[in-house]
Amino acid sequence: MQTKQFLSPADIAQELGISSATVLRMIHSGELPAILVSERIYRIPAASFEMYKAGTLRVASAAPLGRVKRRPRLAQGEVLPVAAAAARGAAVSRARR
Amino acid sequence: MTTLFELRGHLGTLAATLWNYGATFAVPTLDTYDSGEVGFSLSAELPGSASPKPAVIKLAEIWAPAGHDNFSRSEYEYDFIEHPLDRRRAFHGHDPDHFAREFRVLVHEHCEEHLGSPACDHYYGLPISGFEAIRQFASLWGQPGPLGCARLRCLS
Repeated sequence: MQTKQFLSPADIAQELGISSATVLRMIHSGELPAILVSERIYRIPAASFEMYKAGTLRVASAAPLGRVKRRPRLAQGEVLPVAAAAARGAAVSRARR
Repeated sequence: MTTLFELRGHLGTLAATLWNYGATFAVPTLDTYDSGEVGFSLSAELPGSASPKPAVIKLAEIWAPAGHDNFSRSEYEYDFIEHPLDRRRAFHGHDPDHFAREFRVLVHEHCEEHLGSPACDHYYGLPISGFEAIRQFASLWGQPGPLGCARLRCLS
């Protein structure tokens, strides 16, 4: 049987023996991680629920400082729209000729 | 404006949010760059199908000095590549000079209903935080149906 990747609040309620309203309160308080897939519809990643049951959900803490590095260039590999400008410029030049 | 300490908390909270979705990645560090800026980059694999590869969320931010112990975000790259569903969504704010010159915008978005074959190279977008990017990516994660790229406004 394939394991479900996401659970509904009703699934969680059934497994924990609590009401769906209580599950929603847990989501709203941040006690249980969930994703809002559409207006008012939550899904709980199965992995999050496993961590919740095991008591292994992480609490945010300050990230460590790293070492000094060369400044990265973000989105490397993305073609910048300079080529588009050049192409437009060439087209305008051709039209003017 | 954000202090270095607040930035460490910001990164720690982003990381905890992803870890609590079951994502796997190494503990990210807030790095100092040779330019005097600070920033981070992480790539988190999400649980679920790993065929052909797991879904990935990439987050990167660069923060420029803005006075004593203060920084302001100067560039960002938030990417969601969902290999199992063959699609990509991204929010970018990089190379601002290029984009300002070309389109009079500082940020843009990417949207690919099928990986590698976007209908448009760059879409209009609004500045977005890392938390909002995660929220939006998570709302798409594993959900069937189109991303809605056709509803976005193409820049090029």
